[in-house]
Amino acid sequence: MPKSEIRIGGLGGQGVILCGYIIGRAAAIYGGKHATLIQSFGPEARGSACSAQMTISDQEIGYPYVTRPDILVVMSVDAYTQFAPQLKPGGVLLYENELITVDNRLPADVHALGIPATRFAEEIGRRLVLNIVMVGFFASTTGLLEFDAVERAVRDSVPRGTEDLNLRALRRGHDYGLEVMAARA
Amino acid sequence: MKLEGYPKDVTLRDGVSMSIRPIEPDDAEALAAFYRELPGEDRLFLREDVTRPGWSEEFIRSVDFDHVFSLLAEDNGRVMGNATLYRSRHGWSAHVGEIRIAVARAYQRHGLGTALASQLVQHATSIGLEKIVAHVVENQAGAKRAFEKLGFHKDAVLRGHVKDIHGVTRDLVVMSSDVSHLWEAMAALMADYSPTMGE
Repeated sequence: MPKSEIRIGGLGGQGVILCGYIIGRAAAIYGGKHATLIQSFGPEARGSACSAQMTISDQEIGYPYVTRPDILVVMSVDAYTQFAPQLKPGGVLLYENELITVDNRLPADVHALGIPATRFAEEIGRRLVLNIVMVGFFASTTGLLEFDAVERAVRDSVPRGTEDLNLRALRRGHDYGLEVMAARA
Repeated sequence: MKLEGYPKDVTLRDGVSMSIRPIEPDDAEALAAFYRELPGEDRLFLREDVTRPGWSEEFIRSVDFDHVFSLLAEDNGRVMGNATLYRSRHGWSAHVGEIRIAVARAYQRHGLGTALASQLVQHATSIGLEKIVAHVVENQAGAKRAFEKLGFHKDAVLRGHVKDIHGVTRDLVVMSSDVSHLWEAMAALMADYSPTMGE
């Protein structure tokens, strides 16, 4: 697998960093790959811009910073506005499609795949698990991670007692991603 | 709806194995038979007249995944316990679930009630509830102990709230378990700030 550069963006409190952490853990601990994660935050715990830069590769990673991501995951309008122009041409945009409207700032040939992740999370029982829905969507649309690896990473990463709800969120995002990909095929 | 992890086999304190699974539309007759066989004294503490014709069909129709979730415990295909989690569809207590359990006399004090309650507590957490309550009559010591083992505590006592089969007035104890700390832990994990920033 060639190196994949990923950026995840959203607001503080949406679980942007946890989203990156789980993807990285699934790749590095359960997927046999190499992964790096760099986090950046605003000064506030909630509501400020927040993003994670990740690299996943079969090879060792010498430089962990992401300038032109292959994959961009966005959960807020601000994150989309800021990071969408940086996507590589032909890259993949995964976005919360009830919060964000895709416009012409996207580079050429970007594959934009939307998911109503917030609504799904609310239907499952907790808006809080929006980020886990996105992790599931990431796994099935990018094909970078096996579902089993992501499932194990979620189990490891969330508080004990909340696993079931988080795994349902993961499955919902994953299944929706499969539907989206089937519709595009 | 097929739920992952079910049917679940549990072994009770005396080594008897029981199977626990979500109730299904075909269970109406077996459920009605289970409640018919409960002693009148036990049925008295139930909220509904479970012996009314058509009750079990109506009850099963009301069952869904999120608002009414009901489990049966079976011993070789015979229903020996029924446990249900109720959740309000709207309003200020939508974060609270209520557990109701009935166990056949032969299996009371064998740990079956605890096993059923434990499954419902797990389910309550998995659908995002923050608080779970159960009503226990003051002299139901076994039921109180079972809930205490699962982390419930006495939340309120309604004095003289129920009358038993002999006309004796008894207190109703509201027991509750607060699982909001789980979601607070999840929210803390998602706060997206650096604990070392500014150091």
